[in-house]
Amino acid sequence: ALVCEESKLRGDVTIGSGTIIHPSATILAEAGPIIIGDCCLIEEQVKIIHRLPFDQQDKENTPVLIIGSHNVFEVDCHVESPKIGNNNVFESKCFVGNKVTVTNGCTVGAGCKITQEQILKENVVVYGEKCYMREGLDRPGLQTLQMETLAKMLPNYHHIRKANKKN
Amino acid sequence: MAYITGPDVVKYACTCGLLKPISQLYFCRYCCQLRCGFCVCHEVDSHFCGKCCENLPSSEARLKKNRCGNCYVCPSCQQELSTRIGSKGPSNPDDPKSTPKKMYYLSCLYCRWSSRDVGIPDQSAATGGWPDRENVHANRLQEIIDMYKAVVLAEKQQKEKDKKKQRGKYLSYTDRTGVTAASLRKRIGLPADIQHSLLKTKPKEPEPVIPKEEVEDLPEDIFTKLVKLMEVTTIEQRLLQTDVQPITVDMLFPIHKQLSIKRSLRCRSCEHNVSKPEYNPNSVKFKIQLFAYYHIPEIRIVTVEPLRAGRASELIVKFTNPTQHQTTIAFLPLDSVAEEAVGEEASFNQQEASFDAIKQSASLTSLSSQPSSLLSLSSRQPSITIKPRAIVQEVTADVAIPASKVILPPRDDAAEYDDSGDTHNIQDDPKLVVWRRSNKAFVKLLVTPRENLPINTEVIIGFTMQHVYTNTIATTVENKEPDKHDHNIKVFLTIGNLVGSD
Repeated sequence: ALVCEESKLRGDVTIGSGTIIHPSATILAEAGPIIIGDCCLIEEQVKIIHRLPFDQQDKENTPVLIIGSHNVFEVDCHVESPKIGNNNVFESKCFVGNKVTVTNGCTVGAGCKITQEQILKENVVVYGEKCYMREGLDRPGLQTLQMETLAKMLPNYHHIRKANKKN
Repeated sequence: MAYITGPDVVKYACTCGLLKPISQLYFCRYCCQLRCGFCVCHEVDSHFCGKCCENLPSSEARLKKNRCGNCYVCPSCQQELSTRIGSKGPSNPDDPKSTPKKMYYLSCLYCRWSSRDVGIPDQSAATGGWPDRENVHANRLQEIIDMYKAVVLAEKQQKEKDKKKQRGKYLSYTDRTGVTAASLRKRIGLPADIQHSLLKTKPKEPEPVIPKEEVEDLPEDIFTKLVKLMEVTTIEQRLLQTDVQPITVDMLFPIHKQLSIKRSLRCRSCEHNVSKPEYNPNSVKFKIQLFAYYHIPEIRIVTVEPLRAGRASELIVKFTNPTQHQTTIAFLPLDSVAEEAVGEEASFNQQEASFDAIKQSASLTSLSSQPSSLLSLSSRQPSITIKPRAIVQEVTADVAIPASKVILPPRDDAAEYDDSGDTHNIQDDPKLVVWRRSNKAFVKLLVTPRENLPINTEVIIGFTMQHVYTNTIATTVENKEPDKHDHNIKVFLTIGNLVGSD
């Protein structure tokens, strides 16, 4: 995984292999650990925050925020959802609240704010100011080309954090 | 910048009685009057497609139902569709060594709809290969249209015949001699009645529609079956394609993009163009640009003291001179200039009826000006000049009208690079003009809201601004100096809400 030094990681965060985290990304594991899967792309100003909702304070078992593999978090999106599947795309400046469960292949459009308690179906596209939903045929395409380029270019311009592997 | 010119705080009164901010007003140089959107004729200049930036002649536009031939619009979100390269298979299936062929599909970047969602096969040509869906009712519609066209033609010919009959006062020459055309034709052997050549080929009349009373019963599970909301089209999506009106999402076909127009504006009374855009769709400039912003001094509110009923508060207003000539601003009370009765021309019989309607509704606001505007659009005759209407705006505060005048120097674009500073040496009344720089000046006015107004009423003041307008139309050879004259404009400012009272 490629984690830039300028990103802000607080708490117990586990990052899978091949994931790229850009500088000024914020990952806060306040209420419990965060596990991020493989080959995820987390761009600038992204906020992945694990916060307990008000009505569930002081529970005994610590919930874990799980993010699957091949997800793309575009610039300045704010994600608090406790469970995210694979191959999702969170477009710029979207907001996904902590009552939403995201499955596989979903696309949350730019600027969309989803807060209501729901489970997003597979391959759903949320778009528009009023968060219209439509069912797509297929999951969104992989960003392999960009990630390969980033893996080569990022170390030339940013300090990279060293991985501390737990044995 | 929209926050400055956006909210309609400062409004100018147009000659038709409407109040508009300066950004929505035009200035006709020939009549020397302010015109608003309702006082001008809107004419279509050219058609173009917003996406491919191509101009279309108006006849072709009408043929294609005002839609572009190449560009498509997403049926689910009405955004533009872009062509993307899809799967590549070998161009010749037998020869595996040939270069992979590029297949194109349409995709929307906003809602991620693609032409593959509906089942349209990928095209091998980048543009222009997309199949158009045939309208099921096309033949029937064509029959009905042809029938109505024939009816219209027949009516026209009937009118012409009636006119000819009226004119023909003279009988045929042969009547007296007893050799009429009919008897002659009988003799020769032709049929007696001359058939009109155009009526010979009558188009086939469409079959009349058979009305049915039986309606299909609704299926029994209509109330119990779960509705899959993501598969049902919304009404907007349905009505975009009126010929098919699909109920389910998988019948949504891409739609041709609608053309946009470039609009030229023409003053109703003097028929001169007030605004004429350039022909090139990529250009946002104008060939003729007579906007009020470039000819009339602009007024902006700088500060205003908290307003109290019955007490005088200070209001500082900024005047800007946009012209290349010096102007002098004088203040007059609102009802100083008697409204001149503009000459009325009722040129055609058809327009007299509407003119009476205008007379009766002379005190109403702009809605009644629309019928006359529509008429002038269609007939393009010298328009009726409408009497200026009373302005419907209540003034809730009084302004102390200053007696002295404000001189505004001309606009100088090179002033910001000039370090010598303002050398205009204008003697100002220090109580009136608070600050000055190049072509701008701050003017202090005293506002007294009327007594007995409840708190939080909007305070509106009005006055007449008189500025010296220098006419820039080409002058005659003898008179080399451009003529200047005073131009009065009524201005209304909404300065805020009442904070307290005495």
